[in-house]
Amino acid sequence: MLRKAPVGARGMAPGTASGAALPLTTDDMCPVCKTIRYLNKDMEFLINPECYHSMCSNCVNRLFNDGPNQCPYAGCNRTLRRKGFRSAFFGDLTVEREVDIRRRVAAVFNQAEDDFETLRDYNNYLQMVEDLTFDLVSGAEGKRPAAEAQLQQWEAEHKADIERNRKAGREADEQARRRLTAEREAARQRRIEAIKEAEDEKLERARSREAELDTLAQAPEGQRVQLKRRGQTNRAGGATASAVETTVNTAIAAADVGRLSIRGLKEKRKAPAPEGPYDPFGGSDFVPSRYKVGEGLAHPQVEKYRFDQQHITGGYSFDDYTARAMFEAFAGLGVFIEDEKEVGIGMSAGQVATIGAGIAAVGDRMELD
Amino acid sequence: MAVSPLVPYPSGALPSRPGTSPLKLQASANASLNGTPLLARPAGHEIQGLMSLDLVEQMNEEEKRKYVKGKKLGEGTYANVYLGHSRQDPAVLVAIKKIKVQKEYKDGLAPDAVRELKHLQELHHSNIISLLSVFSSKDQNLNLVLEYLPLGDLEMLIRDVDRVRYGAADIKAWMGMLTRAVWFCHDNYVLHRDIKPNNLLIAADGEVKLADFGLARGFADPGRKMTANVITRWYRPPELLFGARHYSGAVDVWSVGLVFAELIIRAPFLPGNSEVEQIALICRQIGTPTEENWPGVTQLKEYTVPSDTVAVWGKDAYMGRFGAVGAEGVDLLIKTLVLNPKKRITAREMLEHKWWRTDPKPTRKEELPRKSSGADEKMGSDLKRRPGMLDDETNPRGAKVARKLDFGAAK
Repeated sequence: MLRKAPVGARGMAPGTASGAALPLTTDDMCPVCKTIRYLNKDMEFLINPECYHSMCSNCVNRLFNDGPNQCPYAGCNRTLRRKGFRSAFFGDLTVEREVDIRRRVAAVFNQAEDDFETLRDYNNYLQMVEDLTFDLVSGAEGKRPAAEAQLQQWEAEHKADIERNRKAGREADEQARRRLTAEREAARQRRIEAIKEAEDEKLERARSREAELDTLAQAPEGQRVQLKRRGQTNRAGGATASAVETTVNTAIAAADVGRLSIRGLKEKRKAPAPEGPYDPFGGSDFVPSRYKVGEGLAHPQVEKYRFDQQHITGGYSFDDYTARAMFEAFAGLGVFIEDEKEVGIGMSAGQVATIGAGIAAVGDRMELD
Repeated sequence: MAVSPLVPYPSGALPSRPGTSPLKLQASANASLNGTPLLARPAGHEIQGLMSLDLVEQMNEEEKRKYVKGKKLGEGTYANVYLGHSRQDPAVLVAIKKIKVQKEYKDGLAPDAVRELKHLQELHHSNIISLLSVFSSKDQNLNLVLEYLPLGDLEMLIRDVDRVRYGAADIKAWMGMLTRAVWFCHDNYVLHRDIKPNNLLIAADGEVKLADFGLARGFADPGRKMTANVITRWYRPPELLFGARHYSGAVDVWSVGLVFAELIIRAPFLPGNSEVEQIALICRQIGTPTEENWPGVTQLKEYTVPSDTVAVWGKDAYMGRFGAVGAEGVDLLIKTLVLNPKKRITAREMLEHKWWRTDPKPTRKEELPRKSSGADEKMGSDLKRRPGMLDDETNPRGAKVARKLDFGAAK
């Protein structure tokens, strides 16, 4: 069967399509050469998605082997090519045509749910596509060309997107197929295991029965009932053991299924590019850009503490102090209040109010030990 | 870090000066004779109530209305914590920390509240809890709106030995986040002074965030004394135990080292019951501080050590107990637990250490171990699913998607 997507179905009026699909003519008699099936058992009808007029393969060969020709149907002015002919999948050619159109639309509008921000957006998109498809399939005379134009425009504009989605779709299909196979395999294993278990149980039961009979044969009359009971408890014990085993098995299977099904499309999309080497600083560093803190920065007020034993032993860092002094000296530079008021970098009105209130309350000489 | 100077009033709310606004001219006719700037009041009685508040109160009211307070999450001696959410978007959860009025501080805010406010509003880093807003509620109670960190703290994970398992890669990831937080504080000249596992909260995505800045302060100027009575005892460095009043970021590094040790052995490394015992533990487990390894230490005000001097332990002694993080990890641990604060590694040097670049690579934050109750839920949902059933059926969205006719795969 030819898989070529239809090129276009614009000009076809609904009347002609249904006329061509009349059961008597299409099934048994070629409407072009009037050959009946009785005379040619192997008669095959072909259609061309340009106009969906069916004719027998002999007619197609006769008319179109020498190149493009007009459709032989009266009143149909489409030019058809040999290459475009194929046999119809559906008996009803209107259905054939609708399916062709839908396939074509689906190939163009192939976004997945993940491409949308919200479920609502996705549903709206599906609605839009369906409206367009309806216009193409059975829209009024005026609407169809418009819809066709819309479709072509979209196709032209989003070529790259469509191609990418197509690839992703193929990958997802492949994955779904693989997942299904894996699941089927797991189910088969489970089934085999279950059968084996049942057999084991049967064996176990037979064995315990045998043992029971043996003991019965050896025991004196009075103990019969007791022994029987013991045999039962044994069996019950075996049953609980196997029950535990089954639950464990199902739990494992459940975990298995959970693991398998995360390999869906969504998870796949999340997988980011391989991360680089670990950065202990988390991608930021705060080397001052406006100055460099050099060695041996000094201030007379500070120098007297530099050799103070309390400062040395306690681990007080004078480098930190000089770095901080420099930082504070330069802290306000490059900050433009007017800009910050407009864009509000870093602070909201609330924070500003908080700071303002804090200063008003305690003054900025606030120091705690 | 926001280093901008204060912007006391946003331009929109600036009171109009006399003569600059036509509205003001109207208003000043009947009010404000003493020249105090007043808001030009628009006519209308319904907003009269709000407008009668002064500007700061108005902004406070606005800020307060942005959040809805929910159930109580916890109660402490100095604050209650409530779960809350944004009024605009109820999906945005916040923790509202309501500072209790403390009897000792009648004339103003309690110093721990001031410290928390002062430093959290300046520090913005992914490993430091972020302060979203501040407002005061009735009775002048101070409310801090903090980001909500639902996954508990590091202490819960360390203590839950039975149900939480973690390895060297996880420890490296947590230590990385902690060290980054401390480095960020120190690089912005803030001492945290209360680093311990239960001040390390875990965000929904696994990120560890340093919280509780109630003891934080900026680096002091030379000659200015700081109190030695900070940092929870088990994590307190020897210089503070000996009463040093001039110290540096090295105090936080010691705490980080002890958190590191605790992460490895899953028990507090130096759990002293009193300060004397704490010093004794340090002497026994790490080594006795002497004039040789720490010049001048005997001059410190509260220097008292047990009489039997223990030499500082070498790497081999640590390898036996902390070997799980590898030789490089132990090397970093030893450097953070150096007795002399001058010789102790700094937070920046910690991040430059080789350990971060050796194997194993730190775990990605999303994959870090979580507290066990979450794991229980996960397990519950795992077990509820019938075998052979796909996750698609449990996907809440699946049933709601409109059916899409797919003819592409028809043939």
